[in-house]
Parts: sequence; C-alpha cells; structure tokens
Amino acid sequence: MDATTARCDAVTLEIVRGALRAAQAEMEALVERTAMSAFIREKKDFYTALFDAEGVMAVGSNVPVFGDIAAPVFRHFPKAGMRDGDLYWYNDCYESGGAVSHSNDQVFLAPVFLEGRRVAFVMGWAHFADIGGLRPGSISPDATDIFQEGVIIPPVRLVRDGEVNEAALRIFYRNGRYPRIAQGDARALMASVALGVTRMREVAARFGADILADALAQLLARTEATVRARLRETFAVGTHRFTDRIDGDGHGNGPFRIRLSLTRTPEDRFILDATETDDQSPGPVNFLMHPDVPGMALGLFFLGGDPTQVVNAGCPRAIDAVRLREGSLLQPRFPAPLGLRGLTMMRMLAALNGLVAVAGGKAPAAHAAYVIILLRGSAGGRPFLMSDGIGVGYGARDTADGIDAVYFVAQENYPAEFLELEYPVRLRHYGLHCDSGGPGRCRGGCGVVREYEVLAEEAVLSVRIDGVENPPWGADGGRSGGPGRVVVNPGTAGERLLRPLSDGNRLRRGDVLRIETGGGGGRGHPFDRAAAAVLADVLGGMVSLAAARRDYGVAIRDGTVDGPATAALRAARPAALAFHRGGYAHALD
Amino acid sequence: MPSTDAPLLVAVDIGGTFTDITLRDGATGRAWTAKTPSTPADPSEAFLTGVSLVLEAAGESAGRIGRVLHGTTVATNLILEGKGARTALITTAGFRHVLEIGRQDIPRAANLYGWVKPARPVPPARVLEVVERVAADGRVLTPLDEASLAAAVAACRALGVQAVAICLLHAFAAPAHERRVAEALRDALPGIAVTASTEVLPVVREYERSLATILNAQVMPAVSTYVGRLEERLRAAGIAAPLLLMKSNGGVAGAAAIRRAPAVTALSGPAAGVVGAQAVAAAAGFPDIITVDIGGTSADICLMKGGAIGLTSRGRVGDWPLPLPMVDMVTIGAGGGSLARVTAAGALAVGPESAGAVPGPACYGRGGARATVTDAHVTLGHLPPRLLGGRMALDVAAAAAAVRDSVAGPLGMGLHEAARGILAIADSTMVGAVRLVSVERGHDPRDFALVPFGGAGPLHGCALAELLGIRTVLVPPSPGVLCAQGLLAADLKAEFSRSVHSEEAAAVAGVFAALEAEAAAWFEEEAVPPPARALRRVALMRYAGQGGELAIPWSAAAAAEFAATHRALYGFDLPDAAVELVTLRVEATGRLAGDIATRRPPGTGAAPSGRHPVHFPGGTRDAALYAREALGAGDRFAGPAIVTQLDATTLVPPGWAGEMAATGALILRREGLAG
Repeated sequence: MDATTARCDAVTLEIVRGALRAAQAEMEALVERTAMSAFIREKKDFYTALFDAEGVMAVGSNVPVFGDIAAPVFRHFPKAGMRDGDLYWYNDCYESGGAVSHSNDQVFLAPVFLEGRRVAFVMGWAHFADIGGLRPGSISPDATDIFQEGVIIPPVRLVRDGEVNEAALRIFYRNGRYPRIAQGDARALMASVALGVTRMREVAARFGADILADALAQLLARTEATVRARLRETFAVGTHRFTDRIDGDGHGNGPFRIRLSLTRTPEDRFILDATETDDQSPGPVNFLMHPDVPGMALGLFFLGGDPTQVVNAGCPRAIDAVRLREGSLLQPRFPAPLGLRGLTMMRMLAALNGLVAVAGGKAPAAHAAYVIILLRGSAGGRPFLMSDGIGVGYGARDTADGIDAVYFVAQENYPAEFLELEYPVRLRHYGLHCDSGGPGRCRGGCGVVREYEVLAEEAVLSVRIDGVENPPWGADGGRSGGPGRVVVNPGTAGERLLRPLSDGNRLRRGDVLRIETGGGGGRGHPFDRAAAAVLADVLGGMVSLAAARRDYGVAIRDGTVDGPATAALRAARPAALAFHRGGYAHALD
Repeated sequence: MPSTDAPLLVAVDIGGTFTDITLRDGATGRAWTAKTPSTPADPSEAFLTGVSLVLEAAGESAGRIGRVLHGTTVATNLILEGKGARTALITTAGFRHVLEIGRQDIPRAANLYGWVKPARPVPPARVLEVVERVAADGRVLTPLDEASLAAAVAACRALGVQAVAICLLHAFAAPAHERRVAEALRDALPGIAVTASTEVLPVVREYERSLATILNAQVMPAVSTYVGRLEERLRAAGIAAPLLLMKSNGGVAGAAAIRRAPAVTALSGPAAGVVGAQAVAAAAGFPDIITVDIGGTSADICLMKGGAIGLTSRGRVGDWPLPLPMVDMVTIGAGGGSLARVTAAGALAVGPESAGAVPGPACYGRGGARATVTDAHVTLGHLPPRLLGGRMALDVAAAAAAVRDSVAGPLGMGLHEAARGILAIADSTMVGAVRLVSVERGHDPRDFALVPFGGAGPLHGCALAELLGIRTVLVPPSPGVLCAQGLLAADLKAEFSRSVHSEEAAAVAGVFAALEAEAAAWFEEEAVPPPARALRRVALMRYAGQGGELAIPWSAAAAAEFAATHRALYGFDLPDAAVELVTLRVEATGRLAGDIATRRPPGTGAAPSGRHPVHFPGGTRDAALYAREALGAGDRFAGPAIVTQLDATTLVPPGWAGEMAATGALILRREGLAG
C-alpha cells in the first residue's frame, strides 16, 4: 500500500489515540511498581513517550521539559541500521543539545518493528538517584563543570538480538554510589520500554502500519494547528517582551536575567528570541534549553484541559524559529555545570507565562521553583542519601487560586511515616507556609514548611531554593509570592540561616532544619477577593489575621468578617500596576 | 447460617429507580423475584415493601427467613457527592495541613496550567492538632498532652461537627494515643461518630490513612441510621434473621461490623455484581473470566483467574484514594449514557460526560438532544423498539436525529457510520481498561471468557470480545440485576493486616497470631461455626526499595514464589536483590454460599419471536428476536440475533452463535473457533 493514500478516519484516530494513552499508562504502572529508588517509586520522577517511525514525538507527557529525544541516538545509530529488539540509552546533555538537561536523567529508547518495517519508537525516562560525581546524589551547588555531576553516557546500543551489553551497565553501576538501586531502576525502565514496544506493535498490527503512521501524523498536525490558532488569538503582530530573573548561582554571581521576546510577523510567523538572556553562570544553574522546550510549554498551556488533545512535537512546530545565544544561561558552553537547571527551567516557564500576560492573555502568575535538599551521612554504620523534593506555591490563574504545596507534574512527596522509616530524621512540622501565597483576587498558592530533626550522628546537607530575593511575580494587580528560606535551629541561640544554594552544610544529631518554600504570585487586585474567601484562608492557616487586614483589606473578628471595618479598609484601595515583584511595576526587569 | 427451619435467603438491591428483591429457598433451590419503585427519601421503606411482596409471591412466611442480604450505595453516594456528615480531623501537632498537601503532586494526566486541587472532605479549619508523638518503631516520644486533647474536644463541640476522624502519626505501631483521643471524644460528645485510623486501616502513609478514616467517619452517621432503620423495620415485620451487608471486598459482614467501619461498603454495589458474575460463571464451568459491568455513566472491569476475586489496597472512590481492601477493578467513564461530541479540533470524543438519568439518552424521549452510546445502539437497530417487556417505547427518530446533529453532521459522515464510530470509541476505551487489568496481573485476555452485565453490558459483549480476541461470552441469567445473585453467593469476609518492619521468623509468626486472634473474635461476633471458618495468610512482598508490593500466599517458599510472580508479571526478577515483607494480612472467610445457579428445563429448540433489521458494518441484516425466558437448556441459535429480557438486551452479531446452558447462562461463541 502507498503510505500517502492510507487515511485514518476520525473514529480510528480517536481509537488509536486511546490505545496509545493506554499503552503509556501500562508502561508507567510497571515503572511505578518495580523501580527501586525512592526518587522514582515515591517521588515518581519518570516519564514515557511514543514516537512515529522517524522518531518524532507523537504522544508525550504533560511535562513540558522535553526536547527532541530520538535525534541524538540517530546521529550515532542511523535508523536504517536498527533492528527489532534494539534498545538505546543515553544521558548526555551536551551531545543531545539539551534533549536531556541534567545527567541524572537516563533515557531508554527502542524502535518498534512490525513485519520488518519500523513503525514507531518508545521511550522510558527516569531520574536516577546517584550516578557518581562530586557528592552523593550527583547534583551539588558546588559543581563547576558537568564532569562533577556524574558519569556521562553518550548514546549507546544496550541491547541487540536479545543480548544485553552488560559491560556498559557494569561500568555505569560501578560509577554510582548505590549500584543495586541503579540496577533495579534500570531493569524496571528496560521492562517498561519492552512492554511499550509490545503494545505499539499490537496497535500497528491492529490498524496497519500506514494507518498508524497517518494517525500519528494527524495527532501532530492537530496539535500544531490548535497551538498556532491560539498563538494568533493571543499575540498581536509585533514583538512582545518579558524578563524574569533567578537569584544567583550559589557561587556569588547573580541575579541572572532571562530575557524573552516573541515576535509575530505580518505573515504570522512566530519567532521566540532568548538571545538577550544573561551570560552563563559559573555555578550549576545553567539550563541547556533544547529549542523545542518553549514550544512544548506554550503548547501545553494553550491545549488546556481538552482530553482529546495530545502534547507532542506539534507544539514546538507551531513556533517557526527559536533563537538562542551560545554562552548564555539558556545555551551554556560545554562543560558548564547543569545540575540545578531545574530552578532556571521553572523560571523560564514563568517567563513564558509573562509573555502571554504582556500580550493580554490569561496566563497564570509566576510559580516558585521546586525545592530539593539532599542529606547524606551514615546511620547505624550504613550510608544514606535522602533526596527530598519539597512543594511550593503555584501562580494564581484568572479563574482559580494558585495551587498550594505542589512540586511539579506527577511528582509526589515522601510521607512523614515513610521518611521516618527509611531515613535517620524525624519530621517535626509539615504544613502550608502561611502568608506565602501572593495576595490577589485569586491568591497565589502557598509554599510549604517542612521541619526535620536530624537523628544521624552527623550529616552533610545540600540545599537548593530560588526566589529568595526575586520572588514569583504577581499579575493584573496581584502581588508577588512570599520568599522561602532555610534555617537551622530556629528560635535558639544557635540559629543560622543557610545560603539558598549551598552544599557542605554540616548538621549533627538533634539539629533542627527548617525549610520554608516560596508561594506563587497572585492575580487581580487583592481588594477584589471575596471577604468570605479571605476568612476561609485565615481559618485554614493560609493567611494570617494581620495579612488579611494589610493585604486584602479584610477585618476579621472572632472568626467572622467584620463588615463595616472591612468596608472602611477597602475604601482606601491601593493603586496597582500590571506586575508586582516586591513592588508594582509596568514591566519587570 | 441457614438451617432447615429457616432456609430462606432474601437479597435486596436498591437501584436509583427500582428496588429488586430475590428470595431463594436454600433447601429446594427455588427462587422468586419482585420489583418495587425505590424510595430515595427512606430506602428502607421500599426494602420492606419488596420483602413483603416477594414473600407473598412465594407464599412464604417471614419466620422462615434465615438471612437478609443487602448491597448498599448509601456510603458510595455520600462519598461521590461529598455529602457526608460535617466532620473534624484530629491529627498530630505539626501536621494540620496533611490533607491540603496530600502527596504534593499535580496528577500525571492533568494540565498544570488549569488543574485545581480538589476540595478536601475536611477543610483545614476543621483539622485540629493534639500534642503527642510516636516514633516509626512505636516508641512514645511525647506522651499525649491532655490539655491539648481537652482543647481539641472543645473545638469539636464549638465547630458543631457530627463526626470526628482521628489519625495520629505512626498510630498503627502504637494505637494507645488514638484510643485515648477516641475515648475522650465519646465521653464528651456522645452521639457523634468517632473513628480512629487504627480501627479502619492500620497501615503506613498518613495522607491516605487520614482520608480513609475521614471517609469512614463521614458516612458513619448516615449508614448507622440507615442500618438501624432497616433492622427496626425487619424486626417489626417479624424477621429475626441477621442482616448482612456487602462490602467492597466482595464478602458480606453483619450490621454491627458495618456500623463500626462503614467505609468498607464504598464499593458495595459493584462488588456484589462481580461476586454474582463469578458465581454464575463458576456454575457454568468458567473459572477464568473478565467481567464488564456497564451502567449509565461508567463501566467497571474486573479480572478473575481460577475463580478467585483479586483484592487491591490501591483502590479509589471518586477523587480519593481509599486503601481499604476492595475488589480489584478498574472504573472508567464510559456507559450507556455517555455523551458523544466533536471537539473544536475535530476529534470525536465519547464520555466521560453523561446524559445522566435526566434527560437521559435522546431515545428515552425526555428531552435529551445530544447523542449517547445508547442512541448509537438504537440508531443501528441493536435494541428492539420496545424495552422492559414492552412497557417502554424507544424514540428511534430522536436517537437518529441526535447522532446526526452531534456527530454525523459535524464530521461529514453517514448516520450509521457515525453511530458505529461512537460505539467503536466506547468499546475501545473499555478494551484499554481490560488490557490494564490483564497486564497488571500478567495475563493474556484471550485465555478468559468475557462476562458482560449491567443494563448495557450484553449489547457490547461480543464487540469487546472480538477486539480482545476472546472466543467466549457468557451472559448471566439476569445481567441487569446481578447484584442480587452476588449477595446470595457471597461469603462472610474480612481482612486483618499490619505493616511490619521485621523479617525475623518469630516476629512474623507473632503478627500472624495476633491477626488470627482478631479474626477469631470476628468469627465469634458473626456467629460463624468452626467448620465454616477459613483463614488464609498472605504476605505483601517486594524487592527492598520497590514501590509496589505483590500479595503472596505465606509459606516457607514465599520468597521464591515472589520472584516467580514478579517474573511472570513484569518480565524480570532480580536474583541479587533482597526481598522484604511490607504488610502481613490474614483473610478470614465464613462460608455461607450455596449453589445459586438456576436450573433451566431442557429446551425444545429456539424459536424466534420476530425479526428486526440491524445495520451491521457488512450491511443491514434481519436479526432474529428471541425472548430469553422462552429459551430452554441446550437451545441453540446463530447470529445475527437479539435476545430480549426484562433487564437487558443481548446483541449477537453475525459470526457468533448462542446456546442456553442448563444453569441459565447464555453462552455465545465465535463460530469456527474452538472454545
């Protein structure tokens, strides 16, 4: 059959889409059940995706941080030479041009064949807890080049004709501090990809390779068309600019500005330019951004909650050009360190929201970047590595408050009862960070307070928290979110504030470590928030009595709203401007 | 236990519209059924009306009833609709926001830009802290502070709550503090429902355990009132027999046990259906089945191997994880009332939005104008123009108009093509769920028989089987009211489990002994005689560090069995990795069940009652209409055919053949294929 004549009708397309989603769900269930590191099994830092026969991502995930995953493999292993049963593996950030953006993330990619014809590719991806490097966990604010961030795996063929390249795996395991866990995680991902291959082959067999190819092409085209239409609705012809910043790189440098512009030409071409972004940093906050990432993120925003829409390579295709500058924070030169790229990535996502906002669109206000601490030491003669991801507040939407206390898509916390069973710590407090949500008609989400007591004799702590000096901005009259901080032994004579990006912090048994994470920005004038909603926030511990009065103009007495006092407060309504970070501004810098 | 002087069993299933009652004589195997309109304001009213009706029909007296069995949706509806009692949560100081934080994730399938965290069943203003602390190993670090307890009790009074849930950190390792809090609440606030987490779910992870405890507390007042009223009415009617209620685990338990832990009935209805399907299939000689229960808005899918109903502790009800043991099924938003629509991007979507009971599908003629799955069936002629024994007429023109306007027009398709498209998408969604339940247990669906039930199930059975490569479809005798069969077939069941941290043999033996002592007490409470008692030890095991556990029957060879199961399920095992125990569980069964199969008299050859045109993909064919009650044992017929009965309609496409089994089950087979 001629591939160009096989047409997948609307019904079949929906059935294929459903079957692909089901295959992804199966792959994820398998990883979740069998992976060994707490990073994957509890925190769930793993993703899957399905690609067409040429390696174009046709069904991705709702995490907009992926670049072109398959291309780096093809450069070393041409598609034509691939065989049924092959499995490829890499984590090489620079080699992949940012398709993977820090070395802990391992990618496993397999081609799918039906009757000798290549019909698809399947990917499994997960963050491995330790792959060697400067310090346990492989990511440290102290790193100054990528070689300190663990072993680098260029694209390699891991399986051919049923034979696993055990030598490559042994070298990999030997370079990490927890080889058994790495082995368990690798086997889980490999089994998941194998399952995905089986399912993709079944889908191809059921509908025919040509119909499948057309279905994937339609899914790509549909996504691109939708995103393009929404871009046209949002952005007038001309250039729209937005600048956001991160605090610093942990090595005394900063702040760093991320300067984005989006131009719509009279011919309806869309050009995203990040070349005016600041230079790369000596510390590991560089984000080697694949040019597909901004399109993926804008696409996810524009696709909204429509369950029939698929996030895929159609999103970046809707942007005609992405311009990056080598040597900048978003396109660092090899071998700049990348370990903490997450905080720059999260800020870049907020800056994209800012682009939509300056164009008059209804994007959320800024969110805080997720926070991670690594605590290492030994307890009872056994080394431990506790890598704890802590939630933050997300930005307020036009129609809903920002989300309280979330980390990111699909990633879960360690419950207190789990944490205390597994690690030599005790949680003294775990709650919402009162008053951290940016005030607004829609409130920014609250960050988190997590307070540990150290039970190990001695431990070394790495901290990463951004937005301390430049908290997430508010929009449309809403105010910025509250900053975070990390403090040891609060309220005692020995109280000390830790640097937001720091490693080598020594803690002893009995020390109390308190982390307060930042909140999201608010949206709309806080005086327009319903008094009843402010009351509920006060009773719920999200907003203090003082803040209700000061920020929202709501007086609360004996658990109820004092109507006349509130009316009097709200009569003196402060003026507001389009954006707010610390103070109101027409534009942020 | 049934005895010779009280051999009658009564099963009552309360649906949204009708209450169905089945009376069965355990001695003779004879059965009678009755149907009466449900009385939503006080469901116990229809309950008793129905029992009287069926006794009358059978010419029996109330005194001869030995057991009253009931599946209840009271708890389910309260949870799904968020209408449970006003409840407070008492937690350990420092953890007031345990619910608000939850697992701190944006769900994998959600869009981060638009997702809103669902409102918790208890707002943070009603979460109270007590000063106390227990370590992971059960050591008390901070004794319970009575002043903080007194303050929490006072706050509960001031908040005017009707129920209080108590969930303290690591309470499963040392429950004394929770007990003291419960005691103080019961003393100070008589009449409010109090639930401690250790009474409901003594396992690790505070968010999920808090939720389970809250849901239990929230439904407790309503379930307790309901059960009490039922018992009262039964006594007034001269029925002294015990009242047994269906639990989510597929077993029944006495009213007293249900009052203590009503959350165990969250999936009472669907579980009863699964037990019924299992019993019907086992009687007909099919131990390996996949059940598909298709209702108006959703479908429940369950897999059973060797006649055993699998349990999960990772179940969900609505928005909430509910890690109580429940029948391991997958629920998806595709049913007869699911709406079809064309999205702005030109995609055809079916469900999860549903037309509900009002207006319902367009063909019901109650004002529905958007096409549903049922309208697609009607348009294609899969349903005869009259249902419910002729009492309900279907508006075929309205169904066709809805399919035309909602789908065919926007997509530029023919009417029948569009209707088939709607069904294909609904079927495909269900097939995805079947694959999920299959792979999670490492099974190939082709090795199973498909058992479709629920009002809409038998319309989809053969189509689903074809998509899955399944050769045999078994349609139960009363697919629309299978819950009653499940109630009659159910045993008393309860699980007792404990998280463990030690693998020392002595510790394991001690935990099992303690769990079995709990089980023995439960047997006594339920008056199960020793010969009817059965206990099963199960260990939930994993490779050290893994996130998922496998349930392995406990034995000296459990570790080897675990590795073999892991290999079969996931395609690999890890010979170098340590295997650890996570939870020990004792499953207690008090055997009640008798043989529920109806005996069908031999047939005299299937004779069609009429013919009806059906639009199959290969063209329009006249399908033979058969009345189910007219088919005798051994009667055979070939598709295309439509088998009608009061509670469901079975579609038999070309290429399939039907045979009535002696048990009353209708067996459909693909022609030319063994099986």
